[in-house]
Amino acid sequence: MSEKSVKPFTNPEKEALICGRCGYCRSACPVYNVVGWESAAPRGKIAMAKEIFSYGNQAAFSAEFVRRMAQCTLCGACAGECSTAIDTRKLWLELRKRIVELGKEPKAYRAMQNNLLARKNISTFPNDERLEWAQDLDDPDALEPRAGAGVGYFVGCVSSFFPQAAQIPLAIAGIFTEAGVDFTTMGGEEWCCGFPLISTGFVDDSKKFIRHNVNKIKELDIHTLVASCASCYHVWKHDSQEALQGYNLEILHTTEYLARLIQEGRIPMHKLTETVTYHDPCDLGRNGGVYDAPREIIRSIPEVRFVELPHHHERALCCGGGGNLQSVDADLAAEIARLRTEEIKAIGATVVVSACQQCEQMLTAAIREAKLPVRVMDVSQFILEAMG
Amino acid sequence: MKNEALEQIKQQFGDRATDSPFECRLYSRDMAPVPALLVNPLFNTLPDLIVRPSDADEAAGILKLAFANHIPVTPRAGASTVYFNSVPVRGGIVMDLNLLKGVVGLDESGMTVTVKAGTTCRELDEYLNPLGFAMKSFPSSAPVASIGGWFCMMGYGIGSLKYGSLLSQVQAVEVVLPTGEVRRLTRDTEPPLAWFAASEGTLGIITQLELEIRKLSPMKHFLIAFPDAGKMGRALEAILHAPVIPYNVHFADDRCALAMHSLGFSPADEAPAHTLGIDYEGSKEELKQAQDMVAALVGADPATHLSSAETAEREWAEKFNALRLKRGGPSVLGSEIWLPVKALSGYLSDIRKMAGRYGLDLISYGHVVTPDRVTVMTMFYTDETRTIAYILDLSLVKKIHDVGRRHGGCPYGVGLWNTPYLGRMFTPSHLNELRQRKQMLDGRGIMNPGKVYRSPVILNPFNFTAGMEVLAAVRRVAGRSGRR
Repeated sequence: MSEKSVKPFTNPEKEALICGRCGYCRSACPVYNVVGWESAAPRGKIAMAKEIFSYGNQAAFSAEFVRRMAQCTLCGACAGECSTAIDTRKLWLELRKRIVELGKEPKAYRAMQNNLLARKNISTFPNDERLEWAQDLDDPDALEPRAGAGVGYFVGCVSSFFPQAAQIPLAIAGIFTEAGVDFTTMGGEEWCCGFPLISTGFVDDSKKFIRHNVNKIKELDIHTLVASCASCYHVWKHDSQEALQGYNLEILHTTEYLARLIQEGRIPMHKLTETVTYHDPCDLGRNGGVYDAPREIIRSIPEVRFVELPHHHERALCCGGGGNLQSVDADLAAEIARLRTEEIKAIGATVVVSACQQCEQMLTAAIREAKLPVRVMDVSQFILEAMG
Repeated sequence: MKNEALEQIKQQFGDRATDSPFECRLYSRDMAPVPALLVNPLFNTLPDLIVRPSDADEAAGILKLAFANHIPVTPRAGASTVYFNSVPVRGGIVMDLNLLKGVVGLDESGMTVTVKAGTTCRELDEYLNPLGFAMKSFPSSAPVASIGGWFCMMGYGIGSLKYGSLLSQVQAVEVVLPTGEVRRLTRDTEPPLAWFAASEGTLGIITQLELEIRKLSPMKHFLIAFPDAGKMGRALEAILHAPVIPYNVHFADDRCALAMHSLGFSPADEAPAHTLGIDYEGSKEELKQAQDMVAALVGADPATHLSSAETAEREWAEKFNALRLKRGGPSVLGSEIWLPVKALSGYLSDIRKMAGRYGLDLISYGHVVTPDRVTVMTMFYTDETRTIAYILDLSLVKKIHDVGRRHGGCPYGVGLWNTPYLGRMFTPSHLNELRQRKQMLDGRGIMNPGKVYRSPVILNPFNFTAGMEVLAAVRRVAGRSGRR
């Protein structure tokens, strides 16, 4: 019984009825594994959604239901386990959209939406300061938008505005320059990719952001787009197709593009004597299908000893940072990161490489708290280190 | 006193106890979507309190208070059954055992592992496999079924054909008796651990098990298609009598294959047929012997078809996902029958006749779990949102059981909903023996009351049969008239 490559999805009412309440999703769910109550398990949430939407029992719509619906990292682990092949990640997004339509969303979601609509990014900084991180470069002006460049680098809000993540775009800019890549950015014309809006149910708003970014890419005549944020990559790859309207745009995550550069011999790297593991970001791996490129990069560095985490590839554990969980329950997000940290500790890695700023931030905090002698790095930072 | 005891437990367990109606609602059901219209007037499935102990001592403390105050206690872990086995029917405490998780110890020389009862079967295999070991057998719901829960049910599944029931593999259990006494039971203690197998949590709480394991060994999978159930049945008997015992044999009738095919879950683009999936594990010689036997079996009948090795591998990879069928629903109803192997083709033939009488599609699949017995799931599609039609459909569940009985079968597992069939499942003396055990260990009847031993009034065989026959007659007319 092989599974269809694309999971069929009808609508929340029908999918909730199809759920067999087998509970396979429960064992894989990071939120359930921390919270421990049935209402936190995917099957519990679906049971509640069935009551409310399939049976039309609006009395069952409660603040507790909304709270549980917000307690989800959208990691998609439940979808991989579902015995009735429900695309549960899509179901959660649909249900959050319904909650917004009913005006019952968490306050943090509305605050985030207002901020995004006002500033076009998730920070409190003006959007025209997107290239502030580039001031560390010799020639920051070189990154201002330039039409016809070979590669458009979509930096993402976190890398653009959060100082702790700035090393990632700096590393990427450094590698690209060293490898002779003809690249540019969208500068202040880059808006949030729209993922925070999609994941909190403000889908219509997200479309405006997607359309804006697509139009700017078209204006710049960019035909290869590289994103270093797993969520930005996911939106470009999966949610922007309608706006692109057949525009010829190759969409890559940095790991895919960097693996290509390494294969072409454009990035010389020295040996690194480290025991390295790789944490699969949910939006890049399980929800994006990119598993090999980051591993190829790590394995291509001489003398690196690569070890897999106990849960990897499709069954990788979430870092806790997805689905806007931090905005509604930061403690729960941190608890989930601790589960992943226990796995990192168990395999004795000295470096954890990942490919998502959010994952790296969550894991860094958890590893620091656990006082582990482990460095957390983005793939690009690790390459830069190997380049010497 | 009851409320004081519940409050005491609630205070003691803090955020590991709740009486929130929001949470309690979710513990008032298992996999079966039985309408509130049927359940609520008869049973109190809403727990008064849910509590999550993390070890045997905590479970013992809860039981001592419950015993002293006559409070019902219903143990629950994966809750992956359908007969309300882990659903309270008289309120009280639901003891969620999912925190009893992890491997306590591995004895490589003795080939045993000691594991906490709330560990899922898949979690145990994920621990054992990298070390070169594996569970001897596991349920087809291994991703969620706990070891303790499976032991408290019938304990047959994938691998049972070769290695026997879980009971035969368990050397010792730690159990908390209804009084709160913690005991380690073996096959030779008084009471023996066997009393607790298939007891469905009615005698105490299993908190830890020591069970035999096997060396992980290579496997080989085969998938054979047959033009009819008769040929499949004869091939099955030949396979079971061959010198090499399969690790697992599962079967599906052509309606099952067709449903999977139409839903896009077939292992290969092949015409739907009756199929046998046969899985062997062992030495290279054993696997070669098995391959030769299967080749000879298929070669002897040109009407059979042996799928490619890749297709058979895909079929094996989907062993936990029979519920894929539910996408054709939205709802399904059915019965799981414990049936003699020899009766399988006759049973399937009669099921086909029943499908014709009631104007519905009956789908059957299952596993061979002993050399003599199969577990057959026969199911049909329905829609739980159409309450009256759904209740009429419920009567057909009994009709499937009736077909099973005519072929020497009986329900697999009791819980609440199969108590009308107690007379089919146990001889009077066996049932009396079970009741005596219950009286001896749980005289106050606090452990999972309302299950296994006696049917409630509404479900006593006479009332139940009469009610179901009336509903079935209406359903038969409705089915024939095509008004469904």
